[in-house]
Amino acid sequence: MTKSKMNPSLKFLLTLIISLELSFKVSLVSNIIVIVLALGYLLYRRIKPKALGGMLLATGLAAITVFSSGYIFSDHRDLWYALDISSRVLVYTFTTACLTISTTAEEMARSLEQNLHLPSKFAYGTLAALNIIPRMQAAVKQIRVAGMMRGVYLSFWSPVLYFKAILVALNSADNLAQGMESHGYREGAPRSVIVEVPLTNKDWLLFIFAILLLNLGAFLLP
Amino acid sequence: MQAELTINHLTFSYGDREVIRDLSLTLPAGTFSLLIGPTGCGKSTLLKIMAGLYPKYGGQLTSGQIDLGGRSQAMMFQEAGEQFTMATPREEIIFAMENLGKDKEEFAHRLQKASEFAEINSLLDQKIVTMSGGEKQRVALAVLVAMDVDLFLLDEPFASVDPAARRFLIGRLAKLKEQGKTIIITDHLFDNYQGKVDGVYRFKGEQVDLLTKDEQALLLDTEPIDLHFPLPENEPAAFVMKNFAIKQGRPLIEQKELSIPKGKVTLITGPNGSGKSSLFKAMTKLLDYQGSLTWESKEVAKLKERAYFQHVAQIFQNASDQFMAITVKEELALSKKHASPYFTPEVLGQALADLDLADHMDQVVYSLSGGQKKKLQILLMLLSGQEVLLIDEPLSGLDQKSIEQVVSLLKKCQEKSGQTILLISHQFYGINTWCDYHLRLASRELAFVQD
Repeated sequence: MTKSKMNPSLKFLLTLIISLELSFKVSLVSNIIVIVLALGYLLYRRIKPKALGGMLLATGLAAITVFSSGYIFSDHRDLWYALDISSRVLVYTFTTACLTISTTAEEMARSLEQNLHLPSKFAYGTLAALNIIPRMQAAVKQIRVAGMMRGVYLSFWSPVLYFKAILVALNSADNLAQGMESHGYREGAPRSVIVEVPLTNKDWLLFIFAILLLNLGAFLLP
Repeated sequence: MQAELTINHLTFSYGDREVIRDLSLTLPAGTFSLLIGPTGCGKSTLLKIMAGLYPKYGGQLTSGQIDLGGRSQAMMFQEAGEQFTMATPREEIIFAMENLGKDKEEFAHRLQKASEFAEINSLLDQKIVTMSGGEKQRVALAVLVAMDVDLFLLDEPFASVDPAARRFLIGRLAKLKEQGKTIIITDHLFDNYQGKVDGVYRFKGEQVDLLTKDEQALLLDTEPIDLHFPLPENEPAAFVMKNFAIKQGRPLIEQKELSIPKGKVTLITGPNGSGKSSLFKAMTKLLDYQGSLTWESKEVAKLKERAYFQHVAQIFQNASDQFMAITVKEELALSKKHASPYFTPEVLGQALADLDLADHMDQVVYSLSGGQKKKLQILLMLLSGQEVLLIDEPLSGLDQKSIEQVVSLLKKCQEKSGQTILLISHQFYGINTWCDYHLRLASRELAFVQD
């Protein structure tokens, strides 16, 4: 499917197209081929067993729910169709996992800016938000400990915990906007390119080839 | 010769509160200036106005203007860790260079220059979120050096930097000035500036005055604080480590054996990134450790959080993390529920008066100034009355008067209730005579020292 060095934006588009096309076209065999290929790719990229297990469990549950509403609780029972729509859940997750396992957030942001010419504000805003997540996780942990030290036990559904977490997030977001500006970022201003994200003919060939295969599969296979 | 930097009849306020009133000031080109004043006086605000961040991101500029004389500028924030867009120093410098439209060659050259300047070569590809406070500050400084701006605006850039690195960096900044840069720095400590800065500006009321040469010389003539401590002998132990090890990306502490005295005040020092804060994290179960760490002969890893934290508490670097209610009064009421017997209503009233907090009872805690937050936080944690208190950099960002207030309160409370206190600090003013012992962390090992 996607190859290790494929351009991140094309990879992203490919994932999007696969997911979209397979949500409109009923082709259980294509779904299974995509899932198997994606799983093979994830194993080739040495996905952590724990991550794979968690993913299988979560999507498995979702797939079962979809299947039961599409078959068991449906008035017009159609096993093939029910299997198709439930396997789509796996298609979405597995192809997205292929994208995230082989692309860092930085590569993706750069590629969106350079290859798809999205506004840099969008690319770096998203990136910065992603970089806040580990900070937020640490903050929530610390807030809980700080509470216990004052005899306040904050459970995971405690409003105080969320109030504090939102305060931290708001403060971080404000500092971040100022931080970007203080490091020379201006909205809409031209930027140079220091780390290039190449978009080669090979990328395009791979992309077109994959789309062709997908369409052949989706329309010819049952 | 570059144009001067001028501030013209500047008035700036947050809501109804005027922070700067009709300020006019001229800074000669190519100078190194130190901006001082009590916590919450408006130093950061002035720097942010110069950096073009205010009033865009906060406050109102009611009159006047600032003319930077056509200089490019960049600012380093007090919370250095919150200033980064990217995950690693190298990525952040790439981001800044792309913003400035620099090409690859120029980037490589500047990256090298900047990482040598702040000595962050070994940190370039480490995740910033895993760095210590002092390391983050050095990285933030490196980004500014890479940007090669004309005007450096540095807001307490050394608050968490160890003394050796501080001396080194001030020397480097003086070199930058010789290359024609203009540097404005805020600080609460005056060590190492003698002979390096050209002028000292003091915030007073809503105004800023330039000190005379004599006043400046007197202010900057700081004596290095001598440390003399005995070594602990046959003390009962609060914490005991055996083959204890922690790591954070890299190995930080590998301790064969150590016992930390009970009922005493122990100062912990060590260079930036050596693992002091991580040690506290291990003691508060926020970081896993290997080997054994016991408190009162019980393995910390096996103790239940809720029970353990009734005995062991930490005063975190960031004061806001410790607040659980809205107003000062409510915070105090919350802590009073389990208050230590030492704090009778009279003692508490006196403490509030001593800390200049008595007039702020109905104020929302998040709207207090940085120094007031810190003072309230320390008072709340003393009220909570745990037997062990871990205190991380309680004095950074506090002016001299606040330091004296805080240390005197800590001292009285500790003497009366016999708490075990572990204290991480890079500055020794006020605490050199208070601490009983000194633990130094160097080459991944903690050892009691006499100096």
